[in-house]
Amino acid sequence: MSILCLGVNYKTAPVEIRERLAFSESELEERLREITRLKGVEESVVLSTCNRVEVYASADDHPCAFDELTRFLVDHFDIEATDVEFYHLEDEGAARHLFKVASGLDSMVLGETEIFGQVKKAYHTAHDAHTTARRMNKLFQQSFRIGKLLRSGTEIQQGSTSVGSVAVDLAEKIFGRLMGCRVMVIGAGEMSRQTAQSLLSRGASSIIVSNRSFDKAELLAAELKGEAVRFDDWEKVLSEVDIVVSSTSAPHAIIHPEMIEKVIPKRGGRSLFLIDIAVPRDIEPAVNTIDNVYLYDIDFLEKVAADARVKRRKQIAACESLIEKHIGEKGIEALRDVKKSSPVSRSGAPANPNQESPVESMSDSPSLTDR
Amino acid sequence: MDKILLALSTLCFAGGFLYVVTALREGKPRRNTWANFAVVLVGFVLLSVVLHLRGQLHGRCPVTNGAEILLFLSWSILLFYFLVGRAFRLSLLGTFTEPIVFVFLATSFGMLAISDPGARPVDSVDPWHELHISVALLSFGAFALAGIAGVMYLVQDRQLKKQQLGTLFYQMPPIRYLSDAIVRLVGIGTLLLTIGIVSAFLQESEPDPKHFSLAFVVWIAYAVLLVWNFSGKSTPKRTALGAIAVFAFPLLLLVAL
Repeated sequence: MSILCLGVNYKTAPVEIRERLAFSESELEERLREITRLKGVEESVVLSTCNRVEVYASADDHPCAFDELTRFLVDHFDIEATDVEFYHLEDEGAARHLFKVASGLDSMVLGETEIFGQVKKAYHTAHDAHTTARRMNKLFQQSFRIGKLLRSGTEIQQGSTSVGSVAVDLAEKIFGRLMGCRVMVIGAGEMSRQTAQSLLSRGASSIIVSNRSFDKAELLAAELKGEAVRFDDWEKVLSEVDIVVSSTSAPHAIIHPEMIEKVIPKRGGRSLFLIDIAVPRDIEPAVNTIDNVYLYDIDFLEKVAADARVKRRKQIAACESLIEKHIGEKGIEALRDVKKSSPVSRSGAPANPNQESPVESMSDSPSLTDR
Repeated sequence: MDKILLALSTLCFAGGFLYVVTALREGKPRRNTWANFAVVLVGFVLLSVVLHLRGQLHGRCPVTNGAEILLFLSWSILLFYFLVGRAFRLSLLGTFTEPIVFVFLATSFGMLAISDPGARPVDSVDPWHELHISVALLSFGAFALAGIAGVMYLVQDRQLKKQQLGTLFYQMPPIRYLSDAIVRLVGIGTLLLTIGIVSAFLQESEPDPKHFSLAFVVWIAYAVLLVWNFSGKSTPKRTALGAIAVFAFPLLLLVAL
């Protein structure tokens, strides 16, 4: 009995192929049952995110099972077999790959945590569809254990690796929970949009968008479910907001210390966090000398994110060593020891009514999707 | 027995402080949060037993000499730490509290080891006098913790302004929580001190004019700080500075006592 992994990810297939191979959530349970009805396949779990589509399976005859799985995917998604090259991993290779995926080691953003929740969700979906039995249960439970071990035992998930997440971390160090914080975006560029979205995803309550072109401001405001303000009027709402993200293409600073000093008495002691992601800078550095006002520019945010990325990369060896240690000591051996005691029936219903339940709860799964 | 327990309590705070400082320097402070909290809790329980024993010795509130005043003040600081620090997720407040409590307890232990005045019972206990002393010392506990939160605010403000995002920065609470905690602690302390001053007028003996004047000055200073803060004319940084500066008065008062 072998453990198999067949799939594509962002390293092996462009987005045009990955989007064609994506399983829709509503039909996933039915597709899982179809996979377990394939010749030689005993159990299956499908992990489908925007960065990867992977089928994990246990099978008696692995060359045959690989062929069946490939044929299923090609037929189901109506693609040419020559258009896509699936990777085939088995036993230790498949287990090692899953452990890396669950720990964020195989992610586009190294060490990201969302994938852990997505692996859990994929496993629970398969469990609910009765397409897992003891072998997949053990494999995935081990992956969750290793994911947690790497999270607590290494620094692979420490620090923020994007400008948006660094900005959010700083905002939380100033305001605590962002619930109720109001954000103003000046300049409707892509970086502004990303930073504002990061703030919204962590609880910021409302967004005000101002741009020289009011149409663009309205478009971004609609996308962020916020409110558009004419460029000549943004100063009037400055006293009401807690966070300002500025990224205009103005050739000179547009926010000066005297503007901020004017609104401070109206703010009732609330801090003001200014994020200047424009080049040339939109906000005069002297603004940072005003009490209760904190200014950060793009260079600093980029540097913090880059430092975190470097720090995470340095953790790869330690993580891989922990995974190898686990595989060497008990990982795959324990899986091999599993007897064919509870295979999944051809119909997808559990052959064994006492099918092992997932030990991991979904409560600690990150809620965000893999992006 | 009380001195042995006091020594153990003092060691708890010394050990707890060193534990956290070492963890912070290693850059892995998170794993020690609960261990440090347990150490502070054990130290607090031991200190409570010490105060109980001293209270039994005198047959009244154990604030009959400088050493006991320091013990009671330390106990008040810790009480407010448990009430405010934990509730506001200000766990690192314990780290900043530990050295101060350690200094107070070590000084108190030294004073009692050199010369313990022993039992000082009175013929009849005046409940208003007991209330006056205990509530006044509790208010100083709140003021002391407000001062500590003020120091933390200034540290975090400096780190944010200078963009120094080290290990300590990520372990410190959000700066808004600190400014909220300062205002609440000053408010609680002022309320308690008001009760303490009023009860001084109700006690059998006349209040000592020197103590009363100092207590009144402290009360005025904190009341002004609160009004200044709520009027919107202050900034959180100025309130933090005020909480630290005004605490110098209670310290002077303690020295005078």
